[in-house]
Amino acid sequence: MECRVLSIQSHVVRGYVGNKSATFPLQVLGFEVDSINSVQFSNHTGYAHWKGQVLTAEELNVLYEGIKLNQVNRYDYILTGYSRDSSFLETVVDIIQELKKANPSLVYVCDPVMGDHGAMYVPEYLLPVYRDKVVPLADILTPNQFEAELLTGRKITTEEDALEVMDLLHKLGPETVVLTSTDLPSKRGDQFLVALGSQNIVKADGTKTSQKICMDMPKVDAVFVGTGDLFAAMLLAWTHHHPKDLKAACEKTASVMHHVIRRTMTYANEMAGPGKRPSPAQLELRMVQSKADIENPAVVLEARVL
Amino acid sequence: MECRVLSIQSHVVRGYVGNKSASFPLQVLGFEVDSINSVQFSNHTGYSHWKGQVLTADELHVLYEGIKLNKVHQYDYVLTGYTRDTSFLEMVVDIIQELKRANPNLVYVCDPVLGDHGSMYVPQNLYPVYKNKVVPVADIITPNQFEAELLTGKNITTEKDAVEVMDLLHAMGPDTVVITSSDLPSRLGDRFLVSLGSQRKVRPDGSRTTQRVRMEVHKVDAVFVGTGDLFAAMLLAWTHHYPDDLKMACEKTFSVMHHVIQRTISYAHELAGPGRRPSPPQLELRMVQSKADIEDPAIVLEATVIS
Repeated sequence: MECRVLSIQSHVVRGYVGNKSATFPLQVLGFEVDSINSVQFSNHTGYAHWKGQVLTAEELNVLYEGIKLNQVNRYDYILTGYSRDSSFLETVVDIIQELKKANPSLVYVCDPVMGDHGAMYVPEYLLPVYRDKVVPLADILTPNQFEAELLTGRKITTEEDALEVMDLLHKLGPETVVLTSTDLPSKRGDQFLVALGSQNIVKADGTKTSQKICMDMPKVDAVFVGTGDLFAAMLLAWTHHHPKDLKAACEKTASVMHHVIRRTMTYANEMAGPGKRPSPAQLELRMVQSKADIENPAVVLEARVL
Repeated sequence: MECRVLSIQSHVVRGYVGNKSASFPLQVLGFEVDSINSVQFSNHTGYSHWKGQVLTADELHVLYEGIKLNKVHQYDYVLTGYTRDTSFLEMVVDIIQELKRANPNLVYVCDPVLGDHGSMYVPQNLYPVYKNKVVPVADIITPNQFEAELLTGKNITTEKDAVEVMDLLHAMGPDTVVITSSDLPSRLGDRFLVSLGSQRKVRPDGSRTTQRVRMEVHKVDAVFVGTGDLFAAMLLAWTHHYPDDLKMACEKTFSVMHHVIQRTISYAHELAGPGRRPSPPQLELRMVQSKADIEDPAIVLEATVIS
């Protein structure tokens, strides 16, 4: 497999978020990963302390120039995630537009990180940049419910709302949309959350339709960081292997998440000791230890076709 | 296996040198790798063009402070390679000394990158820093012949010279020394180069013993970049699994190198086409494709134990 990904995300010295979360799993699955580190921090910002440096939009451009001057600016995929800087994000957009001209088949996997549970945790002015410039270029989008609502201006209270919001997101750009988590009630009870996906397909006779799926995912009683980054990376990998079968791609992706999270949870609780809540350091994803699950995830949940 | 490595090396967006060369193989072997990127460049400096930014000694310190404030500065290994900046190198030494106080069993694997084939390719003022500050805190070093000669002030023309130079290097600090390549004539002819290793141990009764090994390594007709970084990372891994058997550790390490290089050269020639010399991008190590060889390298060369 000769597949090259450009991933523009954070780097942390210790732990698994951003490029640290995305790179190893993609490499283990045989993807060549070129990575531009948008920041270098000691660790993610959920620890008691964090320190480091950020890359400016200028510096990002300089790095890209290097790649371009050597005429190696050919990519099959781009992957982006958490960003706090609108000029940085706009430079990313320029780069993607140029890369798409160099390779029209390029697939841009975008996690439009803006917030969760009703609140934004990036600057507000990023929303118009995402909505008007970033999302229109995206081919695969992985918003959570809050982000999907922000981007479309529509609230989700029923499954029907979710389907309509995904169709609105298709209209903004991406052919594939996965609502990574919602507050919708799960048929399996309150230990589960509902995720949904939608993929535009062109049938053999030329007619357009979409495959819509729904997954009930077990909730975990802990705050993980980096799981969204792992999810987007693995969705990239599994839609690559199952380009017209969102059900299969999502089952694989959600299953990898399940195995990594379970392993992490067990280890974190072991480290913390009985009755104690694990710390952010203890909750770092057990990425390296999950290599076998990443390479070949046992499918542990079934997506329903709607 | 719960083993954490702090690797302080370059990052390149594209390709495999520095931390890009060291991290994936170590992670694939189950090591937790914390990585401080000393620079971020588009690609290595053997391409026609390269662009990027460097980390200052202050910025390095700031990153380390973050780790320390969270009380997670416990490492089993530190790994360093190519540096061009004396103040950066001195900051690295300070950090290692502190980490060794936090964990006295910490093993510092140091590639003392100074030059090759008779000339230095880093600023001259790095030489005294390596000699007087870095090598004394190293536990494992991987100099080439030129670097070994430079650090000890002694030339190598025979195997006996090499053994003496390795003993001089032991006296400076590291218990394990591998001269990764030399000009010594190989027993297998001129398609091979000679590498040597030496490991000093203290027996339970307090007496000292030294295991010395010699490897005849297949030469390759190409300039690779990042192979030294891969070598140091894999020597870290295999000496971890064989702490008292340098022969075995070297056989595994050199074998991994062989598989990765063979795969890379085949691919590079395929891409370049018949009769054409491959370009730097084409010669990037086939790291991801070599995962199985990294995990479990088939042994392809035998190290000879020498006295």
